Amino acid sequence: MIVAIAFVVLILFGMPIGFAIGLAGVIGLIDMGGTQFLAIGPSKIFNGLNIFPFLAMPFFILAGEIMNDIGITSRLVKLAQVLVGRFRGGLAHTNMLASVFFAGLTGSATADAAAFGRTLVPAMVKEGYKRDYACAVTAAGSIIGPTIPPSGLMVVYGSLMGVSIAGLFAAGILPGLVICLVCMAVIAIGGKRENLPKAARGATPREIWDTFVSSLTALAMPVIILGGILGGIVTPTEAASIAVAYAVFIGVFVYRTLTFKGFYAMLVRTARITGVIFVIIAFAGILGWWMSFERIPQLIAETVLGLSDNRYAVIAIIIGLLLVVGMVMDITAILIILAPVLVPLTEQVGLEPIHAGIIFVLALNISLMTPPVGACLFVLSSVTGERLERISIKLFPFLIAEIAILFAFAFWEDAALWLPRLLGFAQ
Amino acid sequence: MRNWSERASARINTAVEAIVAMLMAALVLDVWLGVADRYYFHWQLPWPEVLARYLMIWAALLAVSSGVARRDHIGLTAFIMVLPYQMRRAVLILIDILALALFIYVAWFGIAFAQSGAPRQAMIFGASLAPFYAAVPVAATLSAVQLVLVLLRDMGGHVDQPPFNDHMAEKIS
Amino acid sequence: DGGTIRFGHDNKTDPFENPAHACTAVFSNLVTSGTNGSVNVEVFGSNQLGSAAEHVQQVRDGIIQATLTSTGALASYYPRIDVLNLPFAFNGNASTYAVFDGDFGDALAADIEAELGDVVVLGFPDTGGFFAVTNSKHQIADLKDFEGIRIRTMTLPSHQTIMQSLGAEAYPLAWGEVYSGLQTGVIDGQMNPVPIISFANFAEVQKYMTLTNHLFSPYTMMINRAFFEGLSDSEQATIRTAAENCVTASRGLSRIIEASDRGLAGLMDDIEVTALTDEQRSAMAGAAQPAFEAHVAENMDERAGELLGMFKAAVAEANASTYLN
Ligand code: NA
Ligand code: NA
Repeated sequence: MIVAIAFVVLILFGMPIGFAIGLAGVIGLIDMGGTQFLAIGPSKIFNGLNIFPFLAMPFFILAGEIMNDIGITSRLVKLAQVLVGRFRGGLAHTNMLASVFFAGLTGSATADAAAFGRTLVPAMVKEGYKRDYACAVTAAGSIIGPTIPPSGLMVVYGSLMGVSIAGLFAAGILPGLVICLVCMAVIAIGGKRENLPKAARGATPREIWDTFVSSLTALAMPVIILGGILGGIVTPTEAASIAVAYAVFIGVFVYRTLTFKGFYAMLVRTARITGVIFVIIAFAGILGWWMSFERIPQLIAETVLGLSDNRYAVIAIIIGLLLVVGMVMDITAILIILAPVLVPLTEQVGLEPIHAGIIFVLALNISLMTPPVGACLFVLSSVTGERLERISIKLFPFLIAEIAILFAFAFWEDAALWLPRLLGFAQ
Repeated sequence: MRNWSERASARINTAVEAIVAMLMAALVLDVWLGVADRYYFHWQLPWPEVLARYLMIWAALLAVSSGVARRDHIGLTAFIMVLPYQMRRAVLILIDILALALFIYVAWFGIAFAQSGAPRQAMIFGASLAPFYAAVPVAATLSAVQLVLVLLRDMGGHVDQPPFNDHMAEKIS
Repeated sequence: DGGTIRFGHDNKTDPFENPAHACTAVFSNLVTSGTNGSVNVEVFGSNQLGSAAEHVQQVRDGIIQATLTSTGALASYYPRIDVLNLPFAFNGNASTYAVFDGDFGDALAADIEAELGDVVVLGFPDTGGFFAVTNSKHQIADLKDFEGIRIRTMTLPSHQTIMQSLGAEAYPLAWGEVYSGLQTGVIDGQMNPVPIISFANFAEVQKYMTLTNHLFSPYTMMINRAFFEGLSDSEQATIRTAAENCVTASRGLSRIIEASDRGLAGLMDDIEVTALTDEQRSAMAGAAQPAFEAHVAENMDERAGELLGMFKAAVAEANASTYLN
């Protein structure tokens, strides 16, 4: 209780969120009594970060830095503009659609948020979008990345719970596309109220062609990344380093605008953004360890699930629980701690394992953009300088839409399992 | 005092950022080498994956102190903006002192943590884990030093007068 | 009142699903009932409190009291555990029981206790049986079939050495990237115990599996020394007995899993399985064992060499004895 109060008070009084999480965790350790518990802190900091796939984050941030600096981004944006710029909110739609294309390259929402936060958000701001709105669109789209395969979270879930990973991948495709379409509808509906910009006139075929040709080097980037992964040359994490390599190559040999001094500044900025995000993950390791030791997640789960054994009620309660805990905890920690407690309950009410899996993955992905602990919000806030709470406010309609999609797939088994059944992964 | 702490903070930070940039560059090269080895050289090097994790941890943790110096770390400001100016400054000074306590704790217990790595093998280069574990106390000490310096520099005024106008976002937009 | 044993491990918390939790469930039951509740056990599975290597540190620091740890996670604290990676040593599961329950098990436990100083070793539970090799290039039956196949191993020099001595290429890859790496062909194959291959769904992305049985890697079950020595003699005896039953349970469940659809029996539908003849297996042993022994001689201390000698003798004796004879 004292930990929860300390956490809320510290956050309200403006302590950086990572530090507040850390201090709350340390208060928990002190509350346990005995200095041996205090010794756990540094170990959780180190081991919380000692995970190879985390590398994708700094690498995609760095690739985005270089792409911005050498002008790849602005060419891509120009292309999107001539294609859909005549519609109101054209760049917002572009952002959403780009997340679907990018989803085939990345398994992580934070990589998506870092890449687009660095590239499309500044472009949207230049076009006259409000920065908080641009960030919100990027955050809403970022969860398409780990919903459409590949997905890091699905791999963790599948290995942890013994569910077919290929089956989970298949189950993610449809929700990913639906999220894109529904969010585009949200953009269209809110377009007038938000006063989103649109181009004065449509582009001529000649302009479209010229823009297309001048952005070929930029368009080759996803092709190279995807080719590298599917061609079996690199893992998805290593692919991020290939993105960096390609951007450096274009900057030095093709555009010849990348300087040593510029590159140095990009390395520093990348490290600073990474530090801001990683300090939160690191300190969350201390708080998470204390919560596990005190069996707090299980306590919450038992209490809440004592309420009902109706199938739909149990699904709703599980989703609610994941979303609420997702507000204050890192999603990997939630998966590790809560999935073993909750998944047996989904079995009791007759949920197909892949269906239960996709509900978990979607709910946790949505938690990536719920404040105060939302990794995508942190990434966007630190790469764009926009305030967390302002992004959160603009994000609200998207959040409601995505939660509605989650409930739709949770209650409508035939839709959730349509593709996995078609491919023979589920009965 | 204020000018002195501002200069000291900036100087330390410049040095830290130079080290961080080198670590980041090494990190990129290390992962490239791992890919090239599997695809081209066939040396079957055991260390690129392990080294990448440790370089990433060193770079990211050192950069935390840089974030402290530049007030990059994100917090919610909606509530404190409601408070009167003098009270807001007092609260923010108190918050800085609490954050300082946190980093002193991490630095102090981090020393024992780094020592616990000394008899343990890192599985690469025949090295012990101590030089990698040392990232925690070193980075926490740097962050603590930076917190003292920016506390003296800003005296709780940093939300109203941000110390850096060239926030990283403005540079790119 | 003896207190609470907080027992951490890194496996799923279902006693019918994996040997680690089966072992802790049996241990917990026997300790609590056998001491009339004066010592009780709280099990933290699924990496809740950290990785296997962190559990070892937490036991040593008295933060938790007991853990089961893989040889890979123990290696950074106790490098000599690597001698257990002598490839193609055992000719069957029964031999592993005899070796780890016998004099060699005692000697290994004593050496670990002497080296670490702050733990008591309670036994060597089964992790799920022998290692198999999977890949997607072609079926591996003969030694020459390893040629040019790129195998993922843990970042463990001895594992790399073994694969290289067989003619394969060995690349360490982070666990989280193995599934997708196998799927896209970044790597051709991997090696693991059968239950791990099953639960990690590698059969979905691999075509062939060879029952090489080339490695057996038990857990090491350990308890904090100060805590253990603070208990009464009868409580300590109860814990020893419970640990013995924990080891037995881990072995029984491992064999059952192998025979179920979560083990070999289930994998056979999805992946082409090959068992080796004695000739094929001894050809592989002939290539891998000298390379491994050279690795131990070059990289490890004299005491490791002695342990390896004891290990080989114990294994030879166990292999030679036949059941009920
Ligand atoms: Na994806
Ligand atoms: Na959240």
